[in-house]
Amino acid sequence: MKLDPLTKKKIRRFRSIKRSYYSFIILSTLILLASVAELFVNNKALVVSYQGSLYFPTYSAVRTGQFFGEDYEYEANYRELKQKFDEADEGNWVLMPIVPWNPYEQDFNGEAYPPNAPSLESRHFLGTDESGRDVLARLIYGFRIAIWFAVLTLAICYTIGVLVGCLMGYLGGKFDLVMQRIIEVWSMVPFLYVIMIMVSIIQPSFFLFVLINVLFGWIGITWYMRTMTYKEKAREYVMAAKAQGAGTWRVITKHILPNTMVMIVTLAPFGIVTNITMLTALDYLGLGLVPPTPSWGDLLQQGKSNLNAWWIMSSVVGAIVTVLTMVTFIGEGVREAFDPKKHTRYT
Amino acid sequence: MLAYFGRRLLLIIPTFIGVTLMVFTLTRFVPGGPVERMISEMQMQSMEGGRASQQGNQTLSDDQIAELNAYYGLDKPILVAYWEWLNKLVRFDLGESTRYYEPVWDMISERLPVSVFYGFWTFIISYLVSIPLGVLKALRHGSRVDNATSVAVFMGYALPNYVVGVFLITIFSFHMDWFPMGGFTSDDFDDFTLVQQILDIAHHAVLPMICYIIGDFAILTMTMKNNLLENLAADYVKTAIAKGLPFKQAVKKHALRNSLIPIASHLGNVVSVFVAGSFLIEVVFNIDGIGLLGYESIMERDYPVVMGILAISSLLLMLGNVLSDVCVALVDPRVKFGS
Repeated sequence: MKLDPLTKKKIRRFRSIKRSYYSFIILSTLILLASVAELFVNNKALVVSYQGSLYFPTYSAVRTGQFFGEDYEYEANYRELKQKFDEADEGNWVLMPIVPWNPYEQDFNGEAYPPNAPSLESRHFLGTDESGRDVLARLIYGFRIAIWFAVLTLAICYTIGVLVGCLMGYLGGKFDLVMQRIIEVWSMVPFLYVIMIMVSIIQPSFFLFVLINVLFGWIGITWYMRTMTYKEKAREYVMAAKAQGAGTWRVITKHILPNTMVMIVTLAPFGIVTNITMLTALDYLGLGLVPPTPSWGDLLQQGKSNLNAWWIMSSVVGAIVTVLTMVTFIGEGVREAFDPKKHTRYT
Repeated sequence: MLAYFGRRLLLIIPTFIGVTLMVFTLTRFVPGGPVERMISEMQMQSMEGGRASQQGNQTLSDDQIAELNAYYGLDKPILVAYWEWLNKLVRFDLGESTRYYEPVWDMISERLPVSVFYGFWTFIISYLVSIPLGVLKALRHGSRVDNATSVAVFMGYALPNYVVGVFLITIFSFHMDWFPMGGFTSDDFDDFTLVQQILDIAHHAVLPMICYIIGDFAILTMTMKNNLLENLAADYVKTAIAKGLPFKQAVKKHALRNSLIPIASHLGNVVSVFVAGSFLIEVVFNIDGIGLLGYESIMERDYPVVMGILAISSLLLMLGNVLSDVCVALVDPRVKFGS
């Protein structure tokens, strides 16, 4: 992809804002790492060397305990396997991920009743929650779900919002008028309230949940895009394009959209913050994704009800603060880089 | 202009009907209404009595169920029922809670003072802090003070207020024991003297108030700062300075006044904050206000209460929007709505 000089300049400006640039790099790395979280946080072994051949259970089909010479037919327990192999010392070995727990697994082997404090020995680096599940594992998988929820919701909202907004601004007239009224009524609906009612009726799956949130999330960007398109429509380049015979679709996609991109790019990071916050809030109230799903809101709720278990609260609040602040920093940086308004200063 | 605002006020009516009709319809399709709840409660009771097996699952006859449905108006078509609800609403009758058998209006007005208390003080404090801070940040743009407060403001903006709430409770209520864990007043509030009562409310209000302010604060401060910066760079300020007006005077007499205009458009929100507030903060701090009532009524499927709160809050929200525009028109003589 070739970038025009203007875009290059914007990117250069973004990179010069250190706070935002480093946040961007760290957050991208975190998202990438979380996408392959199975390699770091899992109860399946990374590599098993058994009788001379290597197995990679993380992404392969389920292997039973019998396969590795155990006497049970359900999936192999790699943590026990590792211990056994180490003790037997027959040249077989198991390489476990850094956190050898998966987010759904309950660990009741600890000496105390969960929640248990962090311990290096049991490899619960951030302790366990009230059902004995590893907090770090739930934090990481919760992050993965939250960020993908936010990105997916945002993408669908923006697709709808940009399309409708552009059409409203470009076509104007009756279409604009009717859509304006619809949006006015729709934006008056207290959406969190309605989502709560809807979710308390149906327990939605991930994608249904995204759709419910899209239902109420597309309005904001539509409003902005409408105004932007209105402004752009009156500019000479649009008239020139029209005079040369370009159709509505072509004018919108080839001429107006690239010039209104700034708005979309600038608002996107803040949209991500809103979506993550919403998911966490609904999960906190128990109205989010179906319970065993790892989520920050659920951890927050547990932290609130187990104030003695300081590790739950501090790790989840730490995670929320870090991620949301970084996204906001990125947003501010993008805004500054893409908005060429420079302020004159007096001293 | 007056005609324009008159039209805006009239437009509230169709929007109001649209919003309430939508939620009303939604609540009708919901399983677990008052009748179903009653049936399951009776089943529980008969189970405890140990006679459940003979009577099967149904403890109420079909006739009785029909009677109950008629009592709650659930036998009528949606539009008819909605029309009845609307008719009662015009007479300030919000119906009766299906859970507590109390008039919804009483339940709401009982909790209103709590929400208004928080709304009012949030409004006062956030304006008193944000506007001066915004001005300071604009005048010292790029300085150390500006950068330091920016980080704080951004974090306040990024963090959901209820997360801050949960965090504050952990630190200052649980570990340090400086503030109560929640609630609006202490249990023995009625035995206190007036001074003690005021102190008690203030003591309970510190943490929730911080949460309320934190969100508003960031937006207001940044709006103020950016507008002032923009105005300082505007030609009319440059002209004024070029003509020899001292910088301080230019800021005070010209830039500041114009920068307050967008802040005025925020004023209308205050109306809705009084009632809607943030129900999450009320849930976290267990403050018995409208927000907590709304949350509980949704969870308990107490739909007359849900509808009542929806009606009041959406009405106030719309009035607030109109009021925002009135404020802007009052402050800025250039704004001519409707012409």
